[in-house]
Amino acid sequence: MAPLEKADLLQGTLDLLILKVVALGPVHGYGISQRIRQISDEVLQVQQGSLYPALHRLEKRGLIAADWGESEKGRQARFYRLSSKGRKQLAAEEETWNRLSKAVSLILQTVP
Amino acid sequence: MKNDPRNPGARQSIDPEIAHHIDLITEDFIARGLSPEEARRRALVEFGGREQIRQSVRAIHTSVIAEAVAFHLKAAWRFLRKSPGFSIAVILTLALGIGANSAVFSAIDAVILRPLPYPGGDRLTVIYQHDIQSRDANRFVAPQRLEDWNRLNSTFSGISGYYTDDLSELSGPLPEKVTEALVAPRFLQVLGVSPVLGRDFTPEEERFKGPDAILISYGFWQRRFHGDPEALGKRLHVGSFYNTIVGVMPRDFHYPNRDVDLWAVSAPDAPFAQKRTETWFTVIGRMKPGIQLKQAQADLSRVQIQLGRQYARPDNELSVEIVPMKQTVIGAVGSSLWLLYGSVSLLLLIACSNIAALLLARTAEREHEISIRFSLGASRRTIIVQLLAEVLGLTLLGAVAGLAVDAAAIRGFHLLARTLPRAEEIALNWRIALYSLAAAVATTLLCGLVPAMRGTRRGLAQVIAQGSRAQVSTRRPLQWTLVGVQVALAVTLLIGSGLLLRSLQELSRVSPGFDPSHVLTLQVSGSWGETSDIKGVVQRVDRTLDGLRTLPGVVDAATTDEIPGASWAYPFEYKIDGHDNIDRRVLADTRTASSGYFNVLGIPLLAGEPCREASTTNDLVVNRSFANLYFGARSPVGHLLKPATDPFQGQIRGVVGDAREQGLNTLPTPTVYVCVSAPNPFPNYLIRTQGDPAQMADTIRRRIHDLEPARSVYAIMPLTDHLADAALENRLRTMLLTLFAATAVSLACIGLYGTLSYLGRLRQREVGVRLALGAMRSEIVKRFLLQGLGAAAIGCALGIALGVGLSRYLKGMLYGVTALDPITYSGVVGIILVVAALASLIPSLRASQIEPVRVLRQE
Repeated sequence: MAPLEKADLLQGTLDLLILKVVALGPVHGYGISQRIRQISDEVLQVQQGSLYPALHRLEKRGLIAADWGESEKGRQARFYRLSSKGRKQLAAEEETWNRLSKAVSLILQTVP
Repeated sequence: MKNDPRNPGARQSIDPEIAHHIDLITEDFIARGLSPEEARRRALVEFGGREQIRQSVRAIHTSVIAEAVAFHLKAAWRFLRKSPGFSIAVILTLALGIGANSAVFSAIDAVILRPLPYPGGDRLTVIYQHDIQSRDANRFVAPQRLEDWNRLNSTFSGISGYYTDDLSELSGPLPEKVTEALVAPRFLQVLGVSPVLGRDFTPEEERFKGPDAILISYGFWQRRFHGDPEALGKRLHVGSFYNTIVGVMPRDFHYPNRDVDLWAVSAPDAPFAQKRTETWFTVIGRMKPGIQLKQAQADLSRVQIQLGRQYARPDNELSVEIVPMKQTVIGAVGSSLWLLYGSVSLLLLIACSNIAALLLARTAEREHEISIRFSLGASRRTIIVQLLAEVLGLTLLGAVAGLAVDAAAIRGFHLLARTLPRAEEIALNWRIALYSLAAAVATTLLCGLVPAMRGTRRGLAQVIAQGSRAQVSTRRPLQWTLVGVQVALAVTLLIGSGLLLRSLQELSRVSPGFDPSHVLTLQVSGSWGETSDIKGVVQRVDRTLDGLRTLPGVVDAATTDEIPGASWAYPFEYKIDGHDNIDRRVLADTRTASSGYFNVLGIPLLAGEPCREASTTNDLVVNRSFANLYFGARSPVGHLLKPATDPFQGQIRGVVGDAREQGLNTLPTPTVYVCVSAPNPFPNYLIRTQGDPAQMADTIRRRIHDLEPARSVYAIMPLTDHLADAALENRLRTMLLTLFAATAVSLACIGLYGTLSYLGRLRQREVGVRLALGAMRSEIVKRFLLQGLGAAAIGCALGIALGVGLSRYLKGMLYGVTALDPITYSGVVGIILVVAALASLIPSLRASQIEPVRVLRQE
């Protein structure tokens, strides 16, 4: 599958993806973009220009927290993890997303 | 610090995070077999715009508004720097405009708007009594009635009162004149003020024959004791009493007036204070919280009616009037201040429209820049905000510079303390700074909004397509409207100042009916307590007068109760020869005159004889107006006059000429002079000298000291100074308004000049073409000139309409001219048209001095 353009991502979807990836365990910015790409089978490619503003926005809203720590290669990196507020937000957004995609699928399945 | 990744304060800095990310991508590329340099380059490319990320992350962490403000202000600063001449001109104009405006506002704020400097000052009132029948305004109240009011009312938390004596303090090496306020009990409680040092009077001290006690003013404390706290407990010898100092009042406490040095008790239980017909106190009262003036008025009127039933005369003939204390303090100066405020506001408006015209021209020249901004994706709103931010930068700088103007003006106000009440309270404070800021914002909107809307109105495609200025409309109706507005406002101010100037001119032509030159005035200390032996006072004053008359260089000397030419009217109602006034009331201003009075003032004797030296006060002299109005062709000499409400009766001995003794701007009214040398214990002495009266002051002071060693001489000044003081407010008002009007006219001229010059530049090509086609230069000058004059004429017409509407606010300040004085109006029209023609001529000439070839070659 060809990668989707950034504009094709639904508004708010990036936040959901980030929260989901961060929920898997503390991870730095590069790691987040890699994981999104890998998990989505290279369909979703997050631009750094969107990723870092999104991370900082989420941090400011208190959904994720960040700490400086040592990366696997012994370098200083900023690791993001989910806060408890972020966990609730993630659950809520997953729920919303599932309902939305189910609804959209239903509509698309209707035979004319 | 900022680069330390562990520092939580560095959270905003995204740089290390970006660096780490790029490192990892680089490693990916190296792993795929690229050289480290190539890998790094590819990584940078793949990562994309770092600056953009930095900015958007920073935007997340900083407040959006603060960011925008900083951005716009930065841009505005660049704009100001780019054209310093324009910026400085605008800033100076605004500094004057906003500065003058906030200076007058600071006076209005301190004098009119702010409550009196006493706690709960808006609840303080002054309470007057009026004689119901004669409407005589004998405002002073008997101590017993004051105590009754205080006891029986339910709306005041306290009522007190005062009167003042000018006395000598004798404990120093020389007698010093002091002003002593004699106060009823509760005086300081009612005002809500306590001494800074020592204490208020005790209830024992407020009783007759109680322990003697006196409070001194801060100024007296500094003057006599150099601020030594040991002053408490010292004894002063004031008049014929010894008093122990118990307290020092705060520095800014000046009630009832600035001159008061001492406060002592006037006990209501003194045997001499029992008569209900006595007139002593000016009464002050503090209303209870939440009580309105009307309620207090109703309450106290009820109390007075009750007293009328209880005591009959005189209480049943009295009514009560309550006036806010602030009103009595401000007096008539309020209308002058509002007039000035209106004028400086008009001036600011003129400055605004002037600047708006300048900005219009500038935004028009910046059309290209604006269209580029549009094409780069800026919204119209962003561009308008940016244009307004540029103006705000100018107005803010103007307002700050205006504060300097403000500070200078406030110092000027302080110098006027003698005529301007509460002048010492005028100060540069946060209220004024806030007001200036508000004025800056309002000014920004006024001068910036229209040019900004206008400049961003056209579609960007059009403007870019035009590419050159050739197609810019040259009619510019908005610009001419602004010129018209400036001229109109300037004309309005010019009319106001013209009317005031004409009044001053008329006043200077007036013959006062007396000769104030070569007359020295002074007072000698005395006490109201001396009135128990009025014969003794008369003898003392006559002795002093005789001593003065024998002094070489003195022509004559006299006394009176009020300074002629600088005093109020005291209208009394009279009965002539005991007849009741059936068809009309006989009203006359009543003043006192000693022997020599008419001689000193040069008032001519028309019939009978002037006042003579006598211990009886039955002689009266009337003026010509009185004689004409009430006696017609008959001679009034020999007839009897009796005040309608007084047992006293006198006989008219003579008739004198009319004199403007109530003030030079007041026509002489029928006047009765009561011949007495000592109307009170400290009458005004009037001494006619042969030479300069000021030079005689020392000689005269020494002579009086020889005659009365225990008394002090004060308020020595030439009579002409009194007259100048009385006219000061008027003169100052006129001067300031004239200054404002002149400024307004120059601003309007600059506006006219600037607009025509600008249009001249815009129409260079058109003029060039016309000239090339054979038009005469004079034809072109005429066209420009007529355009400028046309705008000025329309503005002039509007300004006159506005002036007619507004000049009625001047009515009380005019003398000898009506608010619609044709000379003033035609003079203003003449001035404006001449000045407008001059202002238009230069740019019109310049517009026609174009080399057609040069202009056409530019195409």
